Amino acid sequence: METEAKLSFLDRFRALRETQFGSFVPVLLALAAIWGYFGLALPLFDLLTGEEETFRAIFLSPRNIYNLFMQSAVIATLAVGITVVLLLGDIDLSAAATAGVCAALLGVLVLAGVPGWTACLIVMALGTFMGVAQGILVSYVGIPSFVVTLAGLLGFQGLMQKILPTGNLNVGNDFVRGFARVLIPDMWGLALGVLVVVAFAVANLRQQAQRGTRGLERDTPFAVWGQVIAFGVMVIAVILILNSYRSLPLLLVLLVGITALLGWITTSTPFGRSLFAVGGNAESARRVGMKVKRIRVAAFGIVGLMAAIGGIFGASRFGSVSYTAFAGGSLLLEAIGAAVIGGTSLFGGRGSVWNAILGALVIGSLGNGLDLTGASAADKLMVSGAILLLAVAIDAVSRADAGSER
Amino acid sequence: MTSNKEMVGQAAPPAHLSVRGIQKRFGGVHALKGVNFEVARGEVMALVGDNGAGKSTLMKVLAGAHIADEGQFYLDDKPVTVASPNDATDLGIQIVYQDLALCQNLDVAANLSLGDEPVKSGWGFLPRLLRPLDILEMEVKARKAIDRLEVRTLQSVRAKVGGLSGGQRQAIAIARAVGAESSVVMLDEPTAALGVAQTRQVLEVVKRLRETNHAVVYISHNMRDIFEVSDRICVLRHGANVTTYKTSETDPDTIVAAMTRGLDNEAKNGN
Repeated sequence: METEAKLSFLDRFRALRETQFGSFVPVLLALAAIWGYFGLALPLFDLLTGEEETFRAIFLSPRNIYNLFMQSAVIATLAVGITVVLLLGDIDLSAAATAGVCAALLGVLVLAGVPGWTACLIVMALGTFMGVAQGILVSYVGIPSFVVTLAGLLGFQGLMQKILPTGNLNVGNDFVRGFARVLIPDMWGLALGVLVVVAFAVANLRQQAQRGTRGLERDTPFAVWGQVIAFGVMVIAVILILNSYRSLPLLLVLLVGITALLGWITTSTPFGRSLFAVGGNAESARRVGMKVKRIRVAAFGIVGLMAAIGGIFGASRFGSVSYTAFAGGSLLLEAIGAAVIGGTSLFGGRGSVWNAILGALVIGSLGNGLDLTGASAADKLMVSGAILLLAVAIDAVSRADAGSER
Repeated sequence: MTSNKEMVGQAAPPAHLSVRGIQKRFGGVHALKGVNFEVARGEVMALVGDNGAGKSTLMKVLAGAHIADEGQFYLDDKPVTVASPNDATDLGIQIVYQDLALCQNLDVAANLSLGDEPVKSGWGFLPRLLRPLDILEMEVKARKAIDRLEVRTLQSVRAKVGGLSGGQRQAIAIARAVGAESSVVMLDEPTAALGVAQTRQVLEVVKRLRETNHAVVYISHNMRDIFEVSDRICVLRHGANVTTYKTSETDPDTIVAAMTRGLDNEAKNGN
């Protein structure tokens, strides 16, 4: 009796993860749990034990949430790129080192007087090239992506040290610093948010109407409106919170815009469909005539481009480029962790770039919350490891082939 | 009793796809020794033989996956060349492999249009790979393909293939082959891994293919299935034709004898 109840719960969980928005549920729950713990439970505990002096409800303060978003932005940028190769069932271990090389070159270029926007374009081209080169080794030479990008990780770490012999360089260029410094005026930010929500609602309702006229099954009004309302509340709440501290930073708008573009490409174009097809069954994709090798190269090009953008964002936010912030630090594992915690499968064929953003927020929130409680670096590593393990366990459990059990 | 072979020769419907004198060697192995084979529209032709008889090789030659060393293809009596899987596809010859080649992580509609996804018009300035998918068109087409085969158990074309039963997956793989404007559909052991109810479902789909005027090649070891769906049975042994029977005029024992011992022994058995 007990096993039966257990199984049906698992089945329901799997079914939920297969739906369009159900895949967000586990990562949103994780985020809610972490925010609830650091934002509500800990302050309450301190209050009850009379230690309110040491720790106030600062985790959920607008200032901290602003910082949290900015801290998570670089991780998120890389995680979005890594998601694209994870969809294929490949992995990119070199993303953070690529970001480091690009950021270092950016710093050197602007120091040498190259205009900021030109330098940005150059390093974006370089990042794409580095990705494509690795993709060619994976596709056409047939080396597993794990090995190619591991070599890339080591080689690019060395390359970054060559570019930055001192390991550190300040970036004072206004254009580059602008991404993190420029704030969208409160009203404009809010207007942008409302516009996005309205567009989302209109697109959804229009699709439902078209489904009706073409005789296709429709989602329940509850599901449609539920999605629209949940999306709207989330977007407007985030903008209001950011506005109440400073304003919406340009960097976050760009990150969301790029993610939206990649999200659209991966879910709504033949190229995106082929990513999922190759990740799900490469042989099947090959038999229907998909150019599997080129698709793989393109995916690695995208992760290289996203790594370069992550490098630019990082340089912009920190105002400097350092070896430890990129190639030599924890950025790579945090970015891969973010993608996986978001619900993207390491086995390929399932995931979404939006989930990577949420996963990055989970990683960022953990780090931020533990910092606020004064936890040691050792504690942070252990907790992050446990969360990652939990996320992969959820993936493995929900991935088990439901059909074979019937 | 007169030879079935001659009776079939008189009553056989005009062939849609036929091959004559197919030879295929793999190194020292002579896999096909001048095999003749034909299938007509609106007919289910079973292809049987013991392991190593050349069934799979012949099927792969027909699908363009192997290239014959010698032999000629005819489509509606016109000579044609099949030198690659694309050639076969262009001629309307589709194969459903035993492994089905479905993407379990994608839904039914996506699987049915895999590799040939419809895109929205008005985006011509983008490369085709980056134009927006017409998801609704995809679902409409999938619905039609499923309805044509009368797969009644499938609730939604938005269901992930990973969650479907074996019979439903087989039906979807068949629907995909049919959807590609094919006239010849070859099925490799479609019921091998299925239970009774699922097998029934697949056999219904095969009958439906015959009703829709497809030429169906049905490879199987299961005599009950073969006798339920096929119109004719082509027996191969050691890479050569034994004979072709009309299903209504033979019985499983005769087929098994022909598969294992060939025609001479069959005659000796007084059959």
